[in-house]
Amino acid sequence: MRHPSEGVLRRLVDEPAGVPDDDRAHIASCPACLRALETARADAQLVGSALGTSGEVDTDAAWARFSAAAAAPAPAPAAFRPAAPGRRRWATAVRRPAVAALSAVVLLTGAGVAAANDWLPIFQTEGVEPVEITSTDLVQVPDLSAYGELQIIEEPEPEQVADAATARERTGLDVPEVGELPEGVTGDPTYQAAGVVSATFTFSAEKAAAAEGADLPPVPAGLDGSSLRLQAGPGVAAMWAQPTGVPTLVVARVGAPTVDASGGVEFETVRDYLLSLPGLPPQLAEQLEDLSEDGGTLPLPVPADLVTTSEADVDGNDATVLTSRNGLFAGVVWVEDGVMTGVAGTLSADELLPVARGLR
Amino acid sequence: MPRGRVDVRTDLEEVFRGNYARVVAVAARVLGSRDQAEDVAQDVFLSFGRSSVPAGEAGGWLTVAATHTALNLLRSGRRRSAREEIAGDGPAVAPDVADLVITGEERSSVRAALARLPHKQAAALVLRHSGFSYAEVAAALDLSPGSVGTTVRRAESVLLKELNRHASPE
Repeated sequence: MRHPSEGVLRRLVDEPAGVPDDDRAHIASCPACLRALETARADAQLVGSALGTSGEVDTDAAWARFSAAAAAPAPAPAAFRPAAPGRRRWATAVRRPAVAALSAVVLLTGAGVAAANDWLPIFQTEGVEPVEITSTDLVQVPDLSAYGELQIIEEPEPEQVADAATARERTGLDVPEVGELPEGVTGDPTYQAAGVVSATFTFSAEKAAAAEGADLPPVPAGLDGSSLRLQAGPGVAAMWAQPTGVPTLVVARVGAPTVDASGGVEFETVRDYLLSLPGLPPQLAEQLEDLSEDGGTLPLPVPADLVTTSEADVDGNDATVLTSRNGLFAGVVWVEDGVMTGVAGTLSADELLPVARGLR
Repeated sequence: MPRGRVDVRTDLEEVFRGNYARVVAVAARVLGSRDQAEDVAQDVFLSFGRSSVPAGEAGGWLTVAATHTALNLLRSGRRRSAREEIAGDGPAVAPDVADLVITGEERSSVRAALARLPHKQAAALVLRHSGFSYAEVAAALDLSPGSVGTTVRRAESVLLKELNRHASPE
């Protein structure tokens, strides 16, 4: 018979019972397979060691940190504070150059799309797990603190509100009204509202050099010490969920994020400079290059191995359609008059597009 | 019993205490940095706290969520974390294989390779080395059960190429 595949040999290392009897019989009497099996076993062990970690964790301290963060939001650190508790820990985890650039993309693309990045990991865990939007996802400003001073000017707490009218009162935005709910989406939605988050970012060549840990590309004249004003929001969202709490449909509307340069430097200059930094992954660089100051295009920071994108028309606007490769999740996002609207759910793109086109 | 989304689950502390060390270990397998792994764990438990995942399935859910979250973080920050590893850790001895000494530099190149792997391949590798069965890996990643071994083996080969490059330079 043919030699079993490398995958079969690999499984034999871990789960002999999972390998068919005839494969096992072949391997036991085949010197080549036995050698390959030993190699697979040694490789698995070596990789296990390389990935291994040591050291104890202090679960009591971790629980104290967790319950403190969950119960009483910590005061803002000096440099930057994301908008809600769920993000707070990332402030320390992600203050790194490449991530700062990623966050800039997140700001410039806004809620619906950026959130897809966060939904997918959770979504994957149970196959049909949440397409979840929290008020945190609505409005964000980028963590550019590694490159200069980032000062939060206003940051109202996002919150769940009772109804669409309250959401409108808080934000001035109408919650998009869904004409006809797709099959499988039932009940009343919950509403989220988030105010305008704004911040100023003052570029510092010194900090950027420290962050990159390497020689910076030449800094354009006027960039050092120049400021950008970043603004995101306000935002509103309506979310439908199954009785189990698993979200099925999210409709969100957000004031498209804006960037103003006030120190005599064009936004493009800052963006192009960020693009020239070696810490930027190539994929992100491409997405940044697609950006325009008017927010009219939507670069998509979504993992290409999880999501495919395509274009569609929604009431005369160019919309971007995101579909998870397993077909369980889709989203549609577009910008009109500086307002970004997104529809996402555990639905197919064919089911979502009529929802998007039917919004009132 | 169906239940809606709640802010605080009553079983949260029990689940947290029972799973924290393991969730940190999963994330640390990806990131190589305990501090970052603890940050990921905090975030994953927050997500869990907002979810309606049954407590009985918490272990598996948390492991998968930690794997995806840590891989995403690794990708976005891989240059920096590689540098930190080189600067930070001395040689470490794997607890289960005492004669395999992996240097800090090798650890960081393994992480760099992990960051370059296709997400699913990397996730399969991490889940497998976190104790998931082949059937569980297949279910979590929407792979066919028969392809898990091949996926894991392929990922290991790529990682070992990185290791060998450092262990025995030409």
